[in-house]
Amino acid sequence: MAAQTDTIVALSTPPGRSGIGVIRISGPDSLHILRTLVSAESYNPTPNLMRLKSLIDPNSAETLDEALVCFFKAPHSFNGEDVAELHCHGSPVLLRTIIDLILKLGARLADPGEFSLRAVTNGRLKLTEAEAIRDLIDAQTDTALRQATRQLKGEISNRLRPAKENLLETIVRLESSLEFVEDDLPAVQHQATIDSLLGLARDLSRLRSTFAAGKLLHDGIRVAFVGRPNVGKSSLFNSLVGHERAIVTEIPGTTRDTLTESIAVSGVPVLLIDTAGIRNSSDEIESIGVARARREAADADLLIVVVDGSEYLREEDQLVLAEVSDIRHIVALNKSDLPTFSTATFDGRVGADPNCSAVMSVSAKSEAGLESLRAAILEPFANGSAHSEGLLITNARHHDLLVRSIEAIASSAQLLEDFASEEIVLVGLHSALRYLGEITGETTTEEILGQIFSTFCIGK
Amino acid sequence: MIFDEFFDVIVIGGGHAGCEAASASARLGANTALLTLNLDLIGQMSCNPAIGGIGKGHLVREIDALGGIMGRVIDRTGIQFRLLNRSRGPAVRAPRAQADRTLYRIEMRRTLEGTPNLCLRQGLVTSLLMEGGRVLGVELQDARRMGAKAVVVATGTFLNGRIHTGRQTYEGGRAGEPASVEFAEALKRLGLRVGRLKTGTPPRLDGRTIDWEAFEPQPPDERAVPFSFSTDHIRQQQLNCHLAYTNESVHAAIRANLHESPLYSGKITSIGPRYCPSIEDKVVKFPEKTRHQLFIEPEGYATNEVYLNGFSTSLPAQLQQELVSLIPGFERTQIIRPGYAIEYDFVDPKELSPFLETARLKGLFLAGQINGTTGYEEAACQGLLAGINAALGSLGRPLFRLNRRGSYIGVLVDDLITHGVDEPYRMFTSRSEYRLALRHDNADERLEPYGRELGLVGDSEWERFNQRRARLARASALLKECRLRRSDERYSICRELTGQELGDSLTLAELALRPRIDAELVMSLMPSSASSEFSIGDLETALADHLYAGYLGSQTAGLRRLNQHDALNIPQGFSFRTVGSLSHEIVERLERARPESFGQARQIPGMTPAALSTLLVHLTGSQSISGASQR
Repeated sequence: MAAQTDTIVALSTPPGRSGIGVIRISGPDSLHILRTLVSAESYNPTPNLMRLKSLIDPNSAETLDEALVCFFKAPHSFNGEDVAELHCHGSPVLLRTIIDLILKLGARLADPGEFSLRAVTNGRLKLTEAEAIRDLIDAQTDTALRQATRQLKGEISNRLRPAKENLLETIVRLESSLEFVEDDLPAVQHQATIDSLLGLARDLSRLRSTFAAGKLLHDGIRVAFVGRPNVGKSSLFNSLVGHERAIVTEIPGTTRDTLTESIAVSGVPVLLIDTAGIRNSSDEIESIGVARARREAADADLLIVVVDGSEYLREEDQLVLAEVSDIRHIVALNKSDLPTFSTATFDGRVGADPNCSAVMSVSAKSEAGLESLRAAILEPFANGSAHSEGLLITNARHHDLLVRSIEAIASSAQLLEDFASEEIVLVGLHSALRYLGEITGETTTEEILGQIFSTFCIGK
Repeated sequence: MIFDEFFDVIVIGGGHAGCEAASASARLGANTALLTLNLDLIGQMSCNPAIGGIGKGHLVREIDALGGIMGRVIDRTGIQFRLLNRSRGPAVRAPRAQADRTLYRIEMRRTLEGTPNLCLRQGLVTSLLMEGGRVLGVELQDARRMGAKAVVVATGTFLNGRIHTGRQTYEGGRAGEPASVEFAEALKRLGLRVGRLKTGTPPRLDGRTIDWEAFEPQPPDERAVPFSFSTDHIRQQQLNCHLAYTNESVHAAIRANLHESPLYSGKITSIGPRYCPSIEDKVVKFPEKTRHQLFIEPEGYATNEVYLNGFSTSLPAQLQQELVSLIPGFERTQIIRPGYAIEYDFVDPKELSPFLETARLKGLFLAGQINGTTGYEEAACQGLLAGINAALGSLGRPLFRLNRRGSYIGVLVDDLITHGVDEPYRMFTSRSEYRLALRHDNADERLEPYGRELGLVGDSEWERFNQRRARLARASALLKECRLRRSDERYSICRELTGQELGDSLTLAELALRPRIDAELVMSLMPSSASSEFSIGDLETALADHLYAGYLGSQTAGLRRLNQHDALNIPQGFSFRTVGSLSHEIVERLERARPESFGQARQIPGMTPAALSTLLVHLTGSQSISGASQR
């Protein structure tokens, strides 16, 4: 397929205004395109060395940017192809212009992850490493980044290796007892084999159980602000985000659409969603916003119900609280800076409502209580070992394979328990080995036989 | 070119591959010649006097189902039959038999001599006659020229054979027989990739000088299970084997004399089979073992000669005598033929098509040890396949192949042509992904229809096959009909035997899934007419079909995920270099292996998941495959 060998380009830094923006070009035409951009047909860059160059539009001869350029020569680049990197100034318009120009010079826009795919197909990366790179690119915060780095170092493979060796050893013993019945081999210990398999299944289950936490790390926690209009949801949202993202006015119902923003809380990505105030409104546009707010509330991992603590609880507040009663939530009593503020109405709610994990006093205005609120966001998820330093499975494919191998091993152990013959037991064990192999690399029949012959003295 | 004789097919070599090849070719209607160095040694067992075993026994049953001859010959000449793994599931049971070495050879020759269209010829082939990449015939040492449309080469250990005992080394194909050296050179000149392998054989002892009381006898099965589906009963007298063990003084003497072993002195560098190690290897590689098991196997009815299985060695002959004498019971025992190691040439089997024809030289087929395998059974099944295809080719009929799913023969050929060999290749049941489906007792069901279609299965065998099929269907129905009830007098016996609760009533088919319920017991629970209608063998097969039915489904499902694209064809002459972003190394591997399907490509060692998905994308022309690598 020609598409595999053409030249691709993409912005490698996140979109939006930033200090610098890196444009990456990969493929056989990379050098040619770089030469055109620096307007020197004979430009012969020293590989891996950065140079300051003027990027020039060949049509208008106008200088677009002063950029640091670097060329990596195949196969000594991260993906095994000729790669050029242009470190430009971070204006979105400028970056867009330069990429358009590169597209006109014969490159095409890279698909998501296509640079890594080329690295994988060129044998520069293992599949698990590539998947980790994808997570690395997608990683939103530091903890997720550490996690991705850890997978990149083959930690999943390392973590699975003892389990796989353990499984292989059992397979080898069972296989030998079948294949070399005439040889003078030690008898297979029935109960010990069952115990070993059950232990293996438990071990893999522990790893598997980190998936939920791992997934949160990877995808982030969705937290939606809900409440009746004008209790200060947008103000709280802005305080947590740290800049004025939502428009805040005194007029109830100002927020009509939902706004989202990512923040990091103790290294965990948190997606904050500001929603329209929930009330029965005759305004059609506002009604749409309210409906959307309810949908967001239903999809969220956690709700922050914002209540104006300086006022009596209104019927509209009761409506919201009733609606969220079956969703995990925190109550944020806002406006703690006002003299009429009181928490009395909510005393005892945490114990009474199993879905209410905290009632917090906060002030969007004075920023009092914000730190506690941040901590309270993570608290319901803390049991999921989000802070654990252990290895976390973040990838759904790995999770699926682990689940399959655990099932296969457990059912093989059950078959042994029922005194099924070894060849039947081995069907599940070989499947489990294949599933683990899809994460760490395959074990061939030759390797199994090799292990048999090095473990046992076989041969008439 | 002028020929002294002309045939459709010439088979070079009269061993286990050559015999099957010549027999099949002739019976398919091709005018066939079997060329061998010594007509008196047709079907000679070079090493142990035994056929079958786990994996190997499966192969013999498959050979028989396809219409080959090995099963019938051993059934007539076997002197100790045992079904191995009787206590395990039916898929891993397999027959094994000690043979009367001489009777086997005579019976094989008699079988070939009774085959129409088959001419036996004695002579040493020195070269192949070729024209434009096609085989024209062979030239003999005595200057005879024989023409053929197809040639099967089955030269075994004779191809450039070199025998080692101690420091002595000399040319030879087998002890006392010349090697085929000129022909080896001729094959190399034709451009075939040739490598070197090694195997070995133990000493033979004079049975009169053994103190038999010192060794534990290993009796034959009471009910001998034959290899051939056309054999009802084994009628000939059955003999005991005996078990013996080496001891620390033997091991010490071996260690003290390792420098005398060509394996350890560096004289032999080629690789031997790991599962058939020499006694030197066993002692060196497993120093913690205080004894190694040996088998004393009779060579035949009319001889005192016995075979010391497990004591394969290339130590000097005098030393072998000393070592053997260190085993209690062998103090007076005399070696009558010393053991030795032999190195021989083989051709990289990746040169072959699934029909066992060389890709580069049309009409040239290779079978047996020349393809890097070891064992009579492995050789014979290749001989059968090569003989069938040489004949089909010469008759202008489409060639015949077997796949991995349906037979161990298919597994063997696929392994050879896909992976090549690093050591002599032997069959194991774990080589098959479909072990539960490939039983020794259902080889007829799997393969006999092919044998019939080819024309190798005669009318009477075919009639037997159809009768057995009908009996199995009735037995299977009966097993699901007959019930064991709490009120039956055998109920409590069955419950005790299984150690499980059986409920108020259950079908015999269900009962048979419980532990420790065998066919004999089930037969006793069936209506009395059953035992006259079915044999125990029939019932075992019906029960096995039932036992595995559930697992076969899940085994297939597990493999489907992995294998869903395996059938995808890779066109002949496909250039892997045109597949973008395959690394140079991967392209090289693919070009060497020349896989014909995605499934074969998947099994090439060193193929990365990424390379496979790239290849898959290329082959399907579709980007919509699953997996993160596509992002």
